[in-house]
Amino acid sequence: MGQLTQVTIDFETSHLLFPTIIACVLGLLGLAIVIRDRAKIATAGTYWSGIWQSMDKPRFLGTIVLTLLYFSLMVPVGDIWPNTGRGFLFCSIPFVFLTGLLFMHERTIKSILPLAVVSLVGPVFVWWLFTYPLFLTLP
Amino acid sequence: MFEILTPMFLSLIVGGTLIGIIFGAIPGMTATMAVAVCLPLTYSLGLENGLALLLGLYVGGISGGLVPAILLGIPGTPSSITTTFDGYPMAKRGEGEKALRIGIVSSFVGGIISLAILWLFAPTLADFAIKFSYVEKFLIIFFALTVMAALSSDMLLGIFSGVLGIFVALIGTYDITKGGNGNMRLVPPGTEYWLDSGFSLLPVLIGLFGLAAILEQAEIGVPKGHSLDEIDVGKKSGFSFSIFKGQSVNLTRSSLIGTFVGILPGVGGSAASIISYTNAKTFSKTPENFGKGEPAGIMASESGNNGLTGGALVPLLSLGIPGDSTTALLIGAFTLQGIQVGPLFIGNNPGTWDAMIIAMLIANIAMLVMMYVAIRYFALVVTIPKHILFPVILMMCVIGAYTINYGIMFDVWTLLIFGLFGWLVVKLKLEVAPFIIGFILGPSAEVYFVKSLESFGDVTIFITKSWIAVVLWLLIIGSVTGSIMLSRRAKQNAATS
Repeated sequence: MGQLTQVTIDFETSHLLFPTIIACVLGLLGLAIVIRDRAKIATAGTYWSGIWQSMDKPRFLGTIVLTLLYFSLMVPVGDIWPNTGRGFLFCSIPFVFLTGLLFMHERTIKSILPLAVVSLVGPVFVWWLFTYPLFLTLP
Repeated sequence: MFEILTPMFLSLIVGGTLIGIIFGAIPGMTATMAVAVCLPLTYSLGLENGLALLLGLYVGGISGGLVPAILLGIPGTPSSITTTFDGYPMAKRGEGEKALRIGIVSSFVGGIISLAILWLFAPTLADFAIKFSYVEKFLIIFFALTVMAALSSDMLLGIFSGVLGIFVALIGTYDITKGGNGNMRLVPPGTEYWLDSGFSLLPVLIGLFGLAAILEQAEIGVPKGHSLDEIDVGKKSGFSFSIFKGQSVNLTRSSLIGTFVGILPGVGGSAASIISYTNAKTFSKTPENFGKGEPAGIMASESGNNGLTGGALVPLLSLGIPGDSTTALLIGAFTLQGIQVGPLFIGNNPGTWDAMIIAMLIANIAMLVMMYVAIRYFALVVTIPKHILFPVILMMCVIGAYTINYGIMFDVWTLLIFGLFGWLVVKLKLEVAPFIIGFILGPSAEVYFVKSLESFGDVTIFITKSWIAVVLWLLIIGSVTGSIMLSRRAKQNAATS
């Protein structure tokens, strides 16, 4: 019995010990969930199509697309003026404006104007704050 | 002790509390989000000043949730859910301001009682925990994960979420500085450059609590802000402190429940307020009035959820285990300043410990004064249009993620990955809090587990090491069996009804 409980850890492979145990536990738990919730899993298609149908697709997918574009463009734009944080600045202004426009319900001049001001002032203020007083370089 | 009370320190607490109240008062935004967004600002503030800001945000964020809960019947934060039960009926009767003031004073009482417990209990627990070896430290983490999973709405999914968090945290190199061998694991081919150190904690947290929350709002079409016509705080307050007469037991019990729930890792404020409310109703002489505008219901709910604030800091500062999602973010503030929280924290950093206690005390007082005096103005916060707030918050999330490791773009992508993951987790009915706690504690759990086995070479050491290990095993078994029994009883009750 004493020998059964004894373990020797090889230092060279010690990085794999805990992840392997955790992966096994995760697999067992996943299996238990699949067995317990098999009926729900069988009807998962209906569940997901319900989510898809009730979703505000333009706003949800639009947010993801705008965020992807924002993140993707920040570095290339920033490389034009290296170490100045202008990539962040010039990408954030349209991002804040377009996302705000996407989230807005009634797009009138009266409601677009404050958004336009915030989209300009917000990123400029944050860029100034991080670049000068806080000395943190943005992309 | 009082030399930290500089004008900067005080303004950061007051400013943080104010911003926190605003975040809490806007449905869809939480105290956690407020802390996530403001975390990068703490870089240049130093630890004490940074914590002053973050603790103000925490206290304000939890308290602000009562504003829409009472005026609109919509909880500003999940922890204000039970405040709607009696607060909204009171507001409909024209007693909105009275209900708000009852909630504010109760929040203050809850915050102060929990702070007293934090002050008394955390150093004692830390002193005790200093004696723990790797074995006991591993078992503490194991216990924390079982408690968290046991209190999840679905235990199996709760455990799965926690273990998944550990698994994701193990991606990258087995850190040499912690005794590892420096080899990589769980890293897909081609991603070694980015995942060498795994996913950074803060971009993960900001993604899960910032971007995911906005994606959830976008999914439901970003509900329009509320108009001024919808807000009626009542013509006159009608509030008097005499309303608290005979409620000291209710307030104390609810505050203590909130504090205790806060101490349990990963259990959120909603559980604190629900348990407090249920208890208040059970012990009330007039339980039939609950849900119809009973002030005692608001007192229980608000003292319970604010009781969480001090309680959640107890395991963080004494054991290094965050009590809830917001305190998990506070770990980020410590990490930024190169300080590790754990049993040695209070003893090695008495100045920071004093600063935290003072900051919490001032934040609670600031919350009481600001909300009590200017409650009519705070009520207007719910009218701030989300189409302006959310894009700005997204931009702040990007800054937070980017600056955390002094400018690594992969951290920004991590934010997106975990923002989408956070949205998906909710759809899959998994639990975010156990995932986060698992993610934070995973690397430590690995070191404690492997080092225990390396040192002793026998798995029975986890039981035979000391009497503390035995007690911890009893607690682990107790939490799991208790949860199974509760779950079965709930199912039986559901079947009978």
